[in-house]
Amino acid sequence: MTASGRRTALLVAGLVVVITAGLAAADGSPSTPWRHLYLLPVLLAGLRFGVAGGLIAALGAVLGVGPFVLREIEGHGPTRAAAEGVVTLAVLAGSGALVGSLAARARRQRERYETLRAVQRALAEPAPLGRVAARLAAVLTRRLGVDAAGLVLDEGRIVVGADRLDPRSLTARVLARREPEFVTDAGTDARARRVVVVPLASDGETVGALAVERLGDVSREERDALVGFGAAVGLALDNARLAARQRRFAEELEHKVGEATARLGEMDRLKSGFVALASHELRTPLTALQGFSELLATRAFAPVEVRRLAEIMRGEIERLGRIVSDFLDLARLERGLAPAIRRAVLDPAPLIAAAVELFRRTRTTHRLELHVEGALPRVDADADALDRVLKNLISNALKYSPPGSCVRVRARATDGVVAVDVEDEGPGIPAEERARVFEPYYRVRETAGLGPGTGLGLSVVKSLVEAHGGTVRADAAPGCGTRMTVMLPALP
Amino acid sequence: MYAIARPWEPRPGGLLSGAPLPLLVALGVLTAGAGALARAELVPLTPARALGAGGAQGALLATAVAWAASRGGPAPWLAATVVLAGAVGAALSPLGALAYLAAPVWVWLERARLPGLGLARAPAGLVVAGAALGALLGAHLFVTASLTLGYSGRVPTLEGLAPWLAYDVGGNVLTTEAFFRGALFDRAQRRWPFPAAAALVTALCLVRYLVDPLLPRSLEVTAGAVFYLTLLSLANCWLYWRSGSIAPGVAAGVVFFVAYRLLHVVP
Repeated sequence: MTASGRRTALLVAGLVVVITAGLAAADGSPSTPWRHLYLLPVLLAGLRFGVAGGLIAALGAVLGVGPFVLREIEGHGPTRAAAEGVVTLAVLAGSGALVGSLAARARRQRERYETLRAVQRALAEPAPLGRVAARLAAVLTRRLGVDAAGLVLDEGRIVVGADRLDPRSLTARVLARREPEFVTDAGTDARARRVVVVPLASDGETVGALAVERLGDVSREERDALVGFGAAVGLALDNARLAARQRRFAEELEHKVGEATARLGEMDRLKSGFVALASHELRTPLTALQGFSELLATRAFAPVEVRRLAEIMRGEIERLGRIVSDFLDLARLERGLAPAIRRAVLDPAPLIAAAVELFRRTRTTHRLELHVEGALPRVDADADALDRVLKNLISNALKYSPPGSCVRVRARATDGVVAVDVEDEGPGIPAEERARVFEPYYRVRETAGLGPGTGLGLSVVKSLVEAHGGTVRADAAPGCGTRMTVMLPALP
Repeated sequence: MYAIARPWEPRPGGLLSGAPLPLLVALGVLTAGAGALARAELVPLTPARALGAGGAQGALLATAVAWAASRGGPAPWLAATVVLAGAVGAALSPLGALAYLAAPVWVWLERARLPGLGLARAPAGLVVAGAALGALLGAHLFVTASLTLGYSGRVPTLEGLAPWLAYDVGGNVLTTEAFFRGALFDRAQRRWPFPAAAALVTALCLVRYLVDPLLPRSLEVTAGAVFYLTLLSLANCWLYWRSGSIAPGVAAGVVFFVAYRLLHVVP
């Protein structure tokens, strides 16, 4: 009982005692008008404590008036005064019960609305479902005046009020049968433990169960109210779950949009860098071609020298051709198209040997080693595309490794594929950047200064290899350097 | 929480299941026999009344013990025997009623084996409230009976009051509270709402006192018994319901009956 309740109880008891003492001090007749003063404590107790309070106060009044009525009957028989006294007792008891009942009903109604508001407030705050359920259980325990309230949601995955859901428990039974259960005596307490479990329903579906326990009575009215709560809480929980899902979706969307924006920004930056780089890459061979062609046009050279200059010009033209091919492939890729390839059954060994031999003749600053392990199976591939892939990888290896170092090309057949490794002894690629080197325009910052490049070569390699159903990956070579491995499906 | 974490099974058995029927029949025969012998003037009235009351009260305590005893608890006939010993003592001499005090001593010693008898430690506040309630009803009874019905009070003497006090503590109140609150009400409140359980138990408790041969047969005493014992029983049910212990009810009953014994109602 609260402090205010104790004060009211004391006031009621005091009023009964004072009124009784006043009656005794006066004439003591059961018909005295002062007897109606008992209505004051009776109504007060009924309003404050409900039916029980009203009845107990009325009982106090009966105990107070009773002796006067009995004495009247004993002394004078059933007189009018005695009858008035008896009627007064009945009126007091009736008033106490009636006022208490009405007050209790009004209070319960108000408490129900307040509980619903508290439930809505608890569900309105954004939080994970488990935390919302715990908060809800705490609100219901306090508001419903029960000893414990628990919730089971998400088919037993979220349990509030216990560590786990026992499959033979009353709550499990309610979840299975979708009907409320009321047990008048659970547990082994000295006092009877009432248990009410109601399903939480939303849109015809059972989304969980609400269980409450109390050492004491749970009236039928309270049980009916709990069933109503079950529907309201189920709906509110479902709404909270939907709201949480929407929040999560919005957060994910925001995150993805942020990532995409950042990626677009980086692409924009890379493209800007590429435009500058491409201009430079195109200008360099063009300048060489312009210079050598002017020399040939304006001066007379010995035939040997003319052939040398023509060779240089042919090399620059090939370089221009490669750059333009890369641009064209990239343009196809950005439109979502695969590179144009013309497949044919071919033996990869001669192609690999020719590519290695070409670089061995033209790039004498490095040692180039070729190891072909056994006979290679045939592949279904575009010979030109395969040639570009090999030349790109060998060219990169030569570009990024120091003069005098060795570039090894190894080809072998393994698990239904033809694998070609190109290893260099350069500075290598940091582990965190190995996956990114295949992205268009991307160049490893530490090695970008070691040679010219558009940042397109490896992305074109990757698209060509994947167009053949193969894979390409970058690893650290044993010791130092980089190993690029191309795997192409072998024909059976 | 029990409802979530523990397996649930419906509890078998009805309200009165598990009563020691053969013992109750034997005690019933004893009670009825004592009454019959007294009516036939084969046995003096006082010892016949004491034996009859002892048989009935022994039946109450035996039933309560049978319902409350855990596995391996005391035999119900022991409870009946202890109460009957008090009754035999009272039949032999007034001071022999002090033998009734063996009953609370026995119950106290066996409390560990009687977990369902409402012998749990009650909050001190509720025991005090019980005693205060008994005092209030007793005082009201005393005032009403002495001022309006003409029953005079009497100065208690040790010889006069001690046997009654021993009877009330060990026979009357203990057996009533143990059976009607600790056993019957406990079972009833685990099946029905408090008002229904309290009403049933109070009605049966009233019957127990109204058929008691020790209650003087006059209209005003019967009316007073109905009035006060109804209030006392309802209040004791509430005290048990709140505390899970018969201690507050015993306190209320003993104090009330002390006031009752101070009136010149008892022959």
